[in-house]
Amino acid sequence: MQPERWAQVSRIFNSAIELDGEARDAYVESECGEDESLAQEVKRLIENHQKASAEEFIAEPAFANQSSSGSRALAAGQRLGPYLILQHLGTGGMGEVYLATDARLDRRVALKVLSRELAHDKRRMQRFQQEARMASALNQPNILTIFEFGEINSLNLLATEYIEGETLRQYLRSHKLKLSEILDISIQILSALDAAHEAKIVHRDIKPENVMIRSRDHVVKVLDFGLAKPTESGSSTHASDLEGDTQYKTAAGTLLGTVNYMSPEQAQGLAVDERTDLWSSGVMIYEMVAGQMPFEGRTKSHTLVQILEDEPVSLSEASKFVVPDELKRIVDKALAKQVEERYQTAKDMLIDLRKLRKQLDVEAEMRRSVAPALVAKSQTTTGIAADPTVEARGSQTSKAIKYVILLFAAIVIGGGIWFVSKSRHVERPPSQTTVAPVTEQSLTYSITVQKYRNNKPFEEPFQLAKEMVFENDYQIRLNVNGSKAGYLYILNEGPHEKGKPAEFVVLFPSPKSNSGSALINDNERIQIPENSWIKFDQDKGMERVWLVFSQKAIPDLEPIRGFVNNETKGLINDSSVRDQVQQFLRSNSETKPTVEQNAEQRQTRITSTGEILVHAIDLEHQ
Amino acid sequence: MNKLPPSKPHEITELLEQWSGGNQAALDQLYPLVYEELRRLARSYMRREPKGHTLQTTALINEAYVRLVDQQSVRWQNRSHFFAISAQIMRRILVDHARRHLQAKRGGGAKRISLDEVMIVAKERSAEVLMLDEALSNLARLDPRRSQVVELRYFAGLNNSEIASVLKISENTVMRDWNLARAWLYQTLSETA
Repeated sequence: MQPERWAQVSRIFNSAIELDGEARDAYVESECGEDESLAQEVKRLIENHQKASAEEFIAEPAFANQSSSGSRALAAGQRLGPYLILQHLGTGGMGEVYLATDARLDRRVALKVLSRELAHDKRRMQRFQQEARMASALNQPNILTIFEFGEINSLNLLATEYIEGETLRQYLRSHKLKLSEILDISIQILSALDAAHEAKIVHRDIKPENVMIRSRDHVVKVLDFGLAKPTESGSSTHASDLEGDTQYKTAAGTLLGTVNYMSPEQAQGLAVDERTDLWSSGVMIYEMVAGQMPFEGRTKSHTLVQILEDEPVSLSEASKFVVPDELKRIVDKALAKQVEERYQTAKDMLIDLRKLRKQLDVEAEMRRSVAPALVAKSQTTTGIAADPTVEARGSQTSKAIKYVILLFAAIVIGGGIWFVSKSRHVERPPSQTTVAPVTEQSLTYSITVQKYRNNKPFEEPFQLAKEMVFENDYQIRLNVNGSKAGYLYILNEGPHEKGKPAEFVVLFPSPKSNSGSALINDNERIQIPENSWIKFDQDKGMERVWLVFSQKAIPDLEPIRGFVNNETKGLINDSSVRDQVQQFLRSNSETKPTVEQNAEQRQTRITSTGEILVHAIDLEHQ
Repeated sequence: MNKLPPSKPHEITELLEQWSGGNQAALDQLYPLVYEELRRLARSYMRREPKGHTLQTTALINEAYVRLVDQQSVRWQNRSHFFAISAQIMRRILVDHARRHLQAKRGGGAKRISLDEVMIVAKERSAEVLMLDEALSNLARLDPRRSQVVELRYFAGLNNSEIASVLKISENTVMRDWNLARAWLYQTLSETA
């Protein structure tokens, strides 16, 4: 072919393939005019372009893995910008995942190297980058944090928080879940979705492979917000999805991977919104409760038809244990085929799940507290013959008080509780599920302990399971989580002789955590101190940490925020404020909150029926 | 760990500088050095990686680049040159392998070829590589730039933005060049087949 001719052909070809169907033909005709052979030449080339595209002709480089998913690009010990590769974790839908350390902050990260396939596709890359940027702005404890997205040595990288744990899929295989645990997991997933939806980010690929459970504290993390696109490419930023099916559409439009969590609108390839995530959550909760998926056909097509047309086996029939009606109602509502009939927001579903958990907690406490033998035992013994099921919860000293409070609570909200317990046996319309409103404050906390020797960390930090006597070399960190938004104040009262004024140090609010504000968000996790540790000083005795939480700001405590500065380092050195604080704590700590220790999760939950929750954690120091 | 690279980084860097300055003789010296390194790396990767996991060409070139070129004194320009020359070299390595692999299948020279080397180009692709190499040479006579786009992408595994920076054209142009060149190659190969 002559160069001039080739130039002509290529110019028309390039413009023509931007157009579709008839517009394309018309364009070629008009450009070629009388030159019939030129038109033929261009059309033949366009035809071959389409075939080459469809067959993915030379789409993969010559020297590459046969399978289209990425190939391992990095080896352990290799450096990539600030990252040092430690270990290959596996291959996900979007590329390879490595465990790496970020030398700048000395933290471990999961580093995903995006596959060439994805990197080649400019449009998808742009959208991916944009969504990664949006998702990285999400700051919610149940959402896997995205640290960075960028290009180093021409590899596209995504650095995220590294979670040591299992995916929900793995967890389901190896654990028998209790109802309370299912609710805990579901609540955390919905909290993540709530935050993401607020930020206008739809996940689109909620499934057990994209949910991780951290081993050390059982915190749930939802992966791949803003990254997962079931209709385009399966994805995972973690080791999670390695074995799991990833979904993607091939050129021919075939769906690969799992379709079981797809919403009806997704299954039809229609536009999706936030409510698609609620459907998928419903599928997941169903699966956790029943031990089987609601829609599972012989083939993917069968499953898709079920999703579109069939009602799943009723949750109470499918499950081996008694399913509370309210849970069945929640799952049914999440699995409404018409989006308008479904939960409209994650928040609504979250509220229902939380209410249900609270109900079940109260019921459980009731069953324990109304057993007369038990009450008698806890009041008369000093811990010799305690009931084993009660042993795990609450310390012996607080038990007697706890039961008194519970009995009191039972009187106050007795009607509601009776109704709820009865509802297990009586069929009733689901909309009537109500408990008398309770002003109740609750916080969950855990204590992380780090042993030091010669001013250097000596062992890996661990989560405190029960009481311990601290020595000089120990430093601690407090992790607090409020289920509702509210005002949180944390003070440390130093050892002092009886009758003498105590020394108070403000631990929260502080400028570092929460920008000095006492107001914490719904389900926000606060770590105190944020970047360091609480050290025990040389004085032996009892260090007391006061947790105060209320729905409203507490006027008596608001002044303590003024002492959080570099000069005083939180020490309340104004005697009138100190006395006011001491007075407040003394007068508000008479009603003790309910204390529940979860030995497995190494967490303590404190609940007060009053408007203000005041709780003292005593740390003995030798 | 890998052995030390055969040459000192500053030597290669110097040659790259000279070559980008227009000295063609520098390329003659550069070529075998880079060739050796790429071949050695390719082999060592094949040995190291379990089956089903092959290293992608671009990562291999990246590693060669990191090992061969003095990072402190190199200019960005040289990186592009390095990739351009590496793409040519990878093409030669892969074509050689494919050729020998096909010969081995026919029984000739089988003993001299190690399994490692044969695995570099997957069996089914040997024929594709050879045919494409030939068609690409024909395309180069008609349209050198578009031929180079295919070389960089198919033989060196570069993505569009990398190709754009090596050839100093826009990414859109890379995409358009790729579409055209691929259609042409597909047409040529299906007509000769």
